[in-house]
Amino acid sequence: MEFVQNFPFISIVLSLFSGPLCSILSGKKAKWVNIAVITIIGLMSAAVLIFVISTGESYVYTMGHFPAPWGNEIRAGALEGFMAVFFCVVMLLCMIGGEREREIEIEEGKQNLYYVMVNLLLCSLLALIYTNDIFTAYVFVEINTISACGLIMIRQNGRTIEAATRYMIMSLLGSGLLLLGICFLYDITGQLLMSNIKEQVQILHMTKEYHIPLMVSLALMSVGLAIKSALFPFHAWLPDAYGYSTLSSAAILSSLVSKGYIFLLVKIFYRVIGFSTVRDSKVINVLFVFGIIGMIMGSVSAIKENNIRRMIAYSSVAQIGYIYMGFGLGTTAGVIASIYHIVSHTATKSLLFVAASGVTDASGESTNFFDLTGAGYRNKLAGVAFTVGSLSMVGFPMFSGFTSKLLFGQAAVESLHKMLPTLIALAISTILNAVYFMKTVIRIYTPEKKGVTEKKNFRVITMKDQPSKSVALICFIILNVILGMGSKPIVSLFETGLRMFA
Amino acid sequence: MNLANLLNNYEEAVAMILFGIGFSNLLLQKNLIKKIIGLNIMDTAMYLFLALKGYVEGRKAPIVTDGIQSVEAYINPIPSGLVLTGIVVSVSVTALMLSLTIRLYRRYHTLDLDKITTQLKKEGL
Amino acid sequence: MLYGLILLPVFLPEIAVIILLVSSFCEHLGGEKKKTNLFIKIGAAVKRSGLADSDKIREKNKKKELKRRTQKEGPKENYAGKDQPVMLPSVQRVGRQVSEKSRAIAGKVQVKAKNQLQSQILRTEEERLGIHIFTGIVLIVSALLALIAAWTGDKSVTLFYLMKDIPVYFHIDAIGSLFVTIVTIVWVLAGIYAFVYMEHEGEEKRFFGFYLVVYAVLVALDFSGNLVTMYLFYELMTLTSMPLVLHNGSREAIMAALKYLFYSMCGAYLGLFGIFFLSQYCDTLNFTAGGSLNLALVGEHQTVLLIAVFAMLIGFGAKAGMFPLHAWLPAAHPVAPSPASAVLSGIIVKSGVLAIIRVVYYMVGADFLRGTWVQTAWMTLTLLTVFMGSMLAYREKVLKKRLAYSTVSQISYILFGLSVLSPTAFTGALLHTVCHAFIKTALFLTAGIFMFQCNKTRVDELSGIGKQMPKTLWCYTIVSLGLIGIPPMSGFISKWYLAEGALEAGAGVFGWLGPVILLISAFLTAGYLLPITMKGFFPGKEADGAGIIKKEPSCAMLIPLIIFAALTILLGIFPGPLADYASRIAAAVM
Repeated sequence: MEFVQNFPFISIVLSLFSGPLCSILSGKKAKWVNIAVITIIGLMSAAVLIFVISTGESYVYTMGHFPAPWGNEIRAGALEGFMAVFFCVVMLLCMIGGEREREIEIEEGKQNLYYVMVNLLLCSLLALIYTNDIFTAYVFVEINTISACGLIMIRQNGRTIEAATRYMIMSLLGSGLLLLGICFLYDITGQLLMSNIKEQVQILHMTKEYHIPLMVSLALMSVGLAIKSALFPFHAWLPDAYGYSTLSSAAILSSLVSKGYIFLLVKIFYRVIGFSTVRDSKVINVLFVFGIIGMIMGSVSAIKENNIRRMIAYSSVAQIGYIYMGFGLGTTAGVIASIYHIVSHTATKSLLFVAASGVTDASGESTNFFDLTGAGYRNKLAGVAFTVGSLSMVGFPMFSGFTSKLLFGQAAVESLHKMLPTLIALAISTILNAVYFMKTVIRIYTPEKKGVTEKKNFRVITMKDQPSKSVALICFIILNVILGMGSKPIVSLFETGLRMFA
Repeated sequence: MNLANLLNNYEEAVAMILFGIGFSNLLLQKNLIKKIIGLNIMDTAMYLFLALKGYVEGRKAPIVTDGIQSVEAYINPIPSGLVLTGIVVSVSVTALMLSLTIRLYRRYHTLDLDKITTQLKKEGL
Repeated sequence: MLYGLILLPVFLPEIAVIILLVSSFCEHLGGEKKKTNLFIKIGAAVKRSGLADSDKIREKNKKKELKRRTQKEGPKENYAGKDQPVMLPSVQRVGRQVSEKSRAIAGKVQVKAKNQLQSQILRTEEERLGIHIFTGIVLIVSALLALIAAWTGDKSVTLFYLMKDIPVYFHIDAIGSLFVTIVTIVWVLAGIYAFVYMEHEGEEKRFFGFYLVVYAVLVALDFSGNLVTMYLFYELMTLTSMPLVLHNGSREAIMAALKYLFYSMCGAYLGLFGIFFLSQYCDTLNFTAGGSLNLALVGEHQTVLLIAVFAMLIGFGAKAGMFPLHAWLPAAHPVAPSPASAVLSGIIVKSGVLAIIRVVYYMVGADFLRGTWVQTAWMTLTLLTVFMGSMLAYREKVLKKRLAYSTVSQISYILFGLSVLSPTAFTGALLHTVCHAFIKTALFLTAGIFMFQCNKTRVDELSGIGKQMPKTLWCYTIVSLGLIGIPPMSGFISKWYLAEGALEAGAGVFGWLGPVILLISAFLTAGYLLPITMKGFFPGKEADGAGIIKKEPSCAMLIPLIIFAALTILLGIFPGPLADYASRIAAAVM
């Protein structure tokens, strides 16, 4: 066995143990430990990705001494490797971008606790990505929820505690359903490892035995994960949680946490149940319908919102809707489009959060839409970054959002019955997206009248004032453009990754 | 649905009913403490269900006291393991929820989540 | 070597804009310390070498500028601050001080302030000159490169793969060359005009930056070799031309720009919707004369495909101002600076036409549509638009809005020519594209001159204008006649081809209805354009006072206008080569 094959395990353990380590360090040191851990894990995941691509097949890593049906396993393929690398990159950039806000908004003695949470979150995300055991996945889903809750509530004001409570309640409902689904599945298959379950499920599917429990289990797991990833109508907690927590929390929550659950759902579809079984079930139709409603309702709520951070948060609801719509199409092309949208939305939404904070910094810390007038001139880089993010969300060519839209469109044309609703929903949602994002872009580039500038405590922010945020923004912009222009290798990587899944 | 079927598996039925009670409590109760109680009922229902699945009539728990007997002598230990893991998760989640509740109560002097939201809107944060 | 040639005109303006951006960023970073930049240096250098305006004019300009600055601490300077953040506070402070001068007793402070102000103005002026020279050089070089690329044979180049099977691919063909040539001529001439005109709009760095980018995008759009590449640049064109519309940043302008954006995006999305389908049913997404539809693949899905094509027609028709998505035109044109509205109306609208030509004649093929309900609906829509546009223009009192409605109607002439699906009408449509581009640009430039010199925007204010600026009004009259279609001017030829094509195509009731509506619309065109000439030269008794001052605009504004007028006449008298060229394209695609 190659040494590289140990890396997934090492990275999970590394992030798991660096969490407690951070709790005994001072805030500054914890920060550096955290950055170092994320970087090292990113590099290790990259090594795993390269290794998997070079061998051309995924590998299974046995944990402990027990072989397959009893022991716990890790499994790494191209898709897992890519997601791990990508999540590390985005998380690193979010942490760098929100550095200043953390120092201001978190109490002095509690800085290091934040990094405990981030490390645990990273650990749980990696475990969700790599694990081959469905009950382990459940445990890490819970760890993910708890650490995400910590990230929300570490900034102490009433809103965040309330948001964290709501978040916890919704998440617990979701994980209850997920656990029930897993129990059902265990009940009818007698296995916990994903690949073993799949063998059994295929037999069951052929013999049509236990068909209803199988479908119920699939439905429970899908709905559970959908609730956890804030699919409409389970999104009530989301605007407050994203809107009032500290910047790096908002960026990480919106871009990574929900994506971890969605990635688990992809794994359940492909590795646990088998995609053909999923396609034949009615469950994906439910996801499809809620996805489409979410795409539109999320945008409508965003249009009505005057607080820019909440607006971006509502836009997440719409984008999650896109992803579920792609699953709902029931074709591999649709799933690839969804996975691409996961990546593209991750890159774009975190960019938007960081850019929005740059813009609000220049407007006297006000998140009110009307106070942003002319902010693009006061903080030029943030203005440009926000524009890039908005265009990507709207789906302008050259940016990542366009490619995912193109993929969705192509996938939609393939499935005859769902083609028309998909394309119409895409059209309406594109236009609604354009309404609120372009409105904001134009607002931040509308010159403010003189006099107001001084009265409202506006200030000009140059790149020198906020070096870390500027670096993060520039990296995000580059990431977005790369995803928009060079999607070809990434999409083919997804295709190989999905083939390895099966 | 066949009634006899239901009666034969009454343990599972009870577990599901408990799950329903817990779930709806967690979802619908306004009082935070009641919500947490609902959460615990829901989790307990899951453990009941899992434990039932592992239990085989007439066998012993897989705790070795007087030498290993044949496999046939023990119940399936894996669900018991899962229940233990689940309990750990549930305890930590409950603790977190309770601490959040305490925070909210200190700030707003109420346990009603809707009232808290109204107050927050009044604060205009 | 030849490969790069296509891309040069596309990338050169972008590089230039990056320079513009970087210079503004440098200023941004430099803070208070840095008071000079690249453009001031260029401007100063040129000035020293004596190539620029004579001293006298400069002196005059300076005085004017001084007067303007002291008169108002305009809100405009506030955000001109983007370009010169360093100078602004001091200019304004100084400005305030000078205005106080009338009240206060003159003292040393004021004298010093005035000197300071003068040196500020000098610097601003040098910067303007620098920007102009920079823009001019970039524009002319890229224009030359574009023309060379366009007229030296067929070439194609693949830039990179956007997705699997979907490259960003450029290919130069006959129709692309034609469009590039029109774009280039109009862009250069309107650019020269803008150098003078933009003085009173301010924020020239931004304007010329976007002006260059849009040019590059348009060249790329015309050279696009497949549908997705075209769509890519089509969207980019909308995005980059939007800042030209909202240039003055007023509420009106922002609303108009948003309207422009939404109409274009709705349209573009309908186009994209069609692209999804065409990619299923066509052999290739590359443009092939005559279409690349695979009839075997289409099979029973003909209805679906027809709906998709119709959606694309409506969608790309939005840019071309076709009913029902035409309403952005009259909103966006009046608020944009005149050179911007000129190129918007003359060129950008034509991109919609090009997109429709590409879809109908290069993807689907004319034969597939001939005789279907799509053709009928399309013809009905275009004729409706022609009639409606003329009527609305006739009733409109604001000159630029009137011209915008006129564009709505005239572009639908072109679209009507395309919808007939006959070679003659297609030739007519291409000819009208060329004529209309020159004529409408000239008309908007004239409207700009009226605004710039006498601050008049409404038609009824224009009586007696011919006494003040006879040359301008003569040019206006010539191009107006061209648009109406009076024989020696170019519009006549194109309309002739259109009518003949409609008659010979035998498209049932449209065979005669088309020409009739074209004729009625021509009368209406005369009705809304010529009164300005008449009132302008013969204002009647009440206005015929003594106090008429010559207000002829400067050469840089007048010369583009004269060239457009000359082109209108020239194309009218010698339409031969162009008509041949167009009919060759028509023969190739049908």
